Amino acid sequence: MYQVVHNIGMDNIFGSYLREKREALKKKNRKFSLRQVAIRIGIEPSYLSKIERGWPAPLSEEKIKALAEDLGENPDLLLALSGKVSSEIQAIIRKRPQLFTELIRQLGEMPDHAILRLVREVRDGDW
Amino acid sequence: MIELKDNALYFSFPDVHSKAKLSISFKKTLRIPDDGKDYPLPPGLGDFPLEHVDDYAPILPEKWQERGGVMLPMYQSEAMWINFHSSHLYDHGAKYPFAVKIAAGKINAVTGESWSNGLSRNPQDYMVVPDQPWLDGYCVEKGTIRQFVAMPLGEGYSPEEQINKSAETGGLQIEVYPMKRKAFEKRWPVKPFTQAVFISQGEILYCSSPDMALGLGGRMRQEIYEDEFEMSEWDLNTCSRCFVHLTDSKSWQAVTGKNPPSLPLTARDYSDHGLPWFEYYSDSKPLPGAKILGKLKSITEMGKSKSIDPLPENDSADPDKIITIHRKSTPDQVREWRGRG
Repeated sequence: MYQVVHNIGMDNIFGSYLREKREALKKKNRKFSLRQVAIRIGIEPSYLSKIERGWPAPLSEEKIKALAEDLGENPDLLLALSGKVSSEIQAIIRKRPQLFTELIRQLGEMPDHAILRLVREVRDGDW
Repeated sequence: MIELKDNALYFSFPDVHSKAKLSISFKKTLRIPDDGKDYPLPPGLGDFPLEHVDDYAPILPEKWQERGGVMLPMYQSEAMWINFHSSHLYDHGAKYPFAVKIAAGKINAVTGESWSNGLSRNPQDYMVVPDQPWLDGYCVEKGTIRQFVAMPLGEGYSPEEQINKSAETGGLQIEVYPMKRKAFEKRWPVKPFTQAVFISQGEILYCSSPDMALGLGGRMRQEIYEDEFEMSEWDLNTCSRCFVHLTDSKSWQAVTGKNPPSLPLTARDYSDHGLPWFEYYSDSKPLPGAKILGKLKSITEMGKSKSIDPLPENDSADPDKIITIHRKSTPDQVREWRGRG
């Protein structure tokens, strides 16, 4: 039950975020009408309308990425809002699952500025 | 702390000053002819790609893993110059100063002495950035350098092999010290916003060893400047250092699976097309140059003693289009030619 409620919540966020961004773009350029965007990414306008209204309609990773590109949005952000993790990120985690899941758990509570300081340093050795 | 981003090394010293940042990149360039003439500065033709040694550790020589650092690919007889860029602190109206020590095969490029950690003033064994915007080779005499040109390590061309009679190290070694924050803020106090100056001042897949060393190429007009600050102004307790391995281009491809950049055109072709060369002008006092480096044989001279011709296409060039870059030039004046390279 929790899972269903949770999913509806995610779809709502995803849908309303999409609608807000698309409508903002449409004010400047008519090519961002619901119909034209849907046609460009290869789905029915009525389907995109349902998604924007928060219906739990599934959209593939490929379509979400196409939508992100069309609207100038970050694909990882749109995927996360739709409750998905990109296959590229999944592959990184699958390579070293224990290390990365542990790392993500630990990073979960860290403030943004502290996470941004985590960088890979060039290692100095013995010479 | 050193990061590798966009084919450049980013040195930062957050414990000294959050904006004390220096980037160092390695530029592809023309090899100037080694014909006894003194040439102006050749252009930058894009950056050499850089990779972490750790990313390819299992298929690299054990010594490379011990040294850590990064690696870049060079063709035999290809030239390079090193570009320095320090962050501009607009509220102070100045770029943050750094002392930068560079060695090739652990032979200091400014003094010709063997590598030692720390800074020395007698003779001065480092450069001061931003005064020194780039380094093209070994400082052989006052106002003249001999260009860094890649030759296989072990064939006797590099200063390391000529001076120490050993081919142990190769590569490039870099050590960076920031100025102390107090010294910086004393020299350049914060300016009110309206007065801030907004213009810049100015499987093992290789059979032989993949190591390249930097030999002495043609002569070029370039001054290495004297440090105008006090030694006490440098933060000698804070330093970052990095070993830059030079790998021959074939091994690079085998190790990384990536194509190395193509060879640049020759100096003669470049000049014949009327493309620009550069001169740098600064009021700063130049260092005298290292006698020991001045006495070494250039790659061509060494080749003659071996009766071989190590540098193909060494035809003299006649640079007639020369652009002067001043110390206080605007930031958009860059030493680059952004055409084919």
